[in-house]
Amino acid sequence: MVTESDTESIQVEITPQRYLMPATAQKLLNEIYANGGIIRIMIHGPNLPRSVPYGPGRGTPIDENRDLIIEVGGQAFELSVKVGRIRLELENEKYMSGLRAACERALPFTFQIRRGKFFHSRPTVSDYAKFGNVEDKRILGLIDPKAKKERLAILSEEKVTVEDEER
Amino acid sequence: MAYKPQFYPGSTSVGINRRKHMSGNIDKLRDIPEADVVAIMGHRAPGADYASTHPPLKEMGEPDCPVRQLVAPTAGAAAGDRVRYSQWTDSMYFAPSIPYFRSYWGAINCKGCDPGTLSGRQIIEARERDIEDYTKAQYDSEVTDVALCSMRGCTVHGHSLRLEENGMQFDMLARTEMGADGNVYAVKDQVGIPLDKKINLGKAMSEAEAKKRTTIFRFDGVPMGGKVGERKFDEAIEMTHHMWERRSKWGYRPE
Repeated sequence: MVTESDTESIQVEITPQRYLMPATAQKLLNEIYANGGIIRIMIHGPNLPRSVPYGPGRGTPIDENRDLIIEVGGQAFELSVKVGRIRLELENEKYMSGLRAACERALPFTFQIRRGKFFHSRPTVSDYAKFGNVEDKRILGLIDPKAKKERLAILSEEKVTVEDEER
Repeated sequence: MAYKPQFYPGSTSVGINRRKHMSGNIDKLRDIPEADVVAIMGHRAPGADYASTHPPLKEMGEPDCPVRQLVAPTAGAAAGDRVRYSQWTDSMYFAPSIPYFRSYWGAINCKGCDPGTLSGRQIIEARERDIEDYTKAQYDSEVTDVALCSMRGCTVHGHSLRLEENGMQFDMLARTEMGADGNVYAVKDQVGIPLDKKINLGKAMSEAEAKKRTTIFRFDGVPMGGKVGERKFDEAIEMTHHMWERRSKWGYRPE
């Protein structure tokens, strides 16, 4: 029998039953942040384009998708996706129960928490083409390989960066 | 004895609803003004003249054809209107209609139309004044729930996505919105161009109501085999098995 180590980092995926409005997403992310132990976190969901991407109305601005600013851990950043899934890596097993409690406090509907492996650990060809040799391995798995430019938000103690082109 | 079409088998609520949709015997739930439907479709300004691709049939002088003599043209065809479309996206979370049943409704009940079914959307093409009538009929009836169904000419994403927190189907272009008064408003036309004024589409169905009216078989709603644990499957699944068997063995030749 293999006994799982309780000191290694674990990867977790939170899937709420519905897509989150920015206010709920902010509440949930703050609860997760307050729980602590986060090594990295990724927000996943359908894209919210700033203008109509194609069709007869192409280029018409979509005001509803602009300025979706949320504040997490004292840092503000702009959402470019509808929050549907949150993947995160925790320092170790002991933060898991707190994470579940955080979700229960923040979400008014049901959700699923799964443990697994959600971030890749070796650079892909796309990673190499965009970044060359990646020194900080934490960004692996946080980059949208289909985006024309890297789309990446890092929440850390020092800074929050969001790089997103206008589309 | 007069022939009575049977449309769809089964005694589950979904089977009954499917029969209703196909037969065209559907409940009218709301009345959205024609001008508003035209504005949401976005093909012509409400009140504007219809553009035409050919002169009215009466002026054209049709060839001597027995089929043309038998079949009366629709109003749009008689006037020579352009062909236009309306396209719908229905959520798989218990929307009253699902793509195939909008198509069946159109093919059986709407004259001179061309329904097309895709995995997550459904389009009907017809002459302009005909498609306006058909679209209004869909908007006004139980085929449509204003939160779970919406008209999307492009960026149709939404059918298989989770709902938003307020129970609306996700829409990248935010064409409809839930008002503070609980009514759903159309704020853009079907291709995402803002409308001059918000159009009130009325209240959305409750979750229980949507489940009652839906035509989608779902494991967490009404499954296709009928009640779970019953000794016998519902007729819907038996008919489907029967058709697949015939089709696989003999290329669906009923003899």
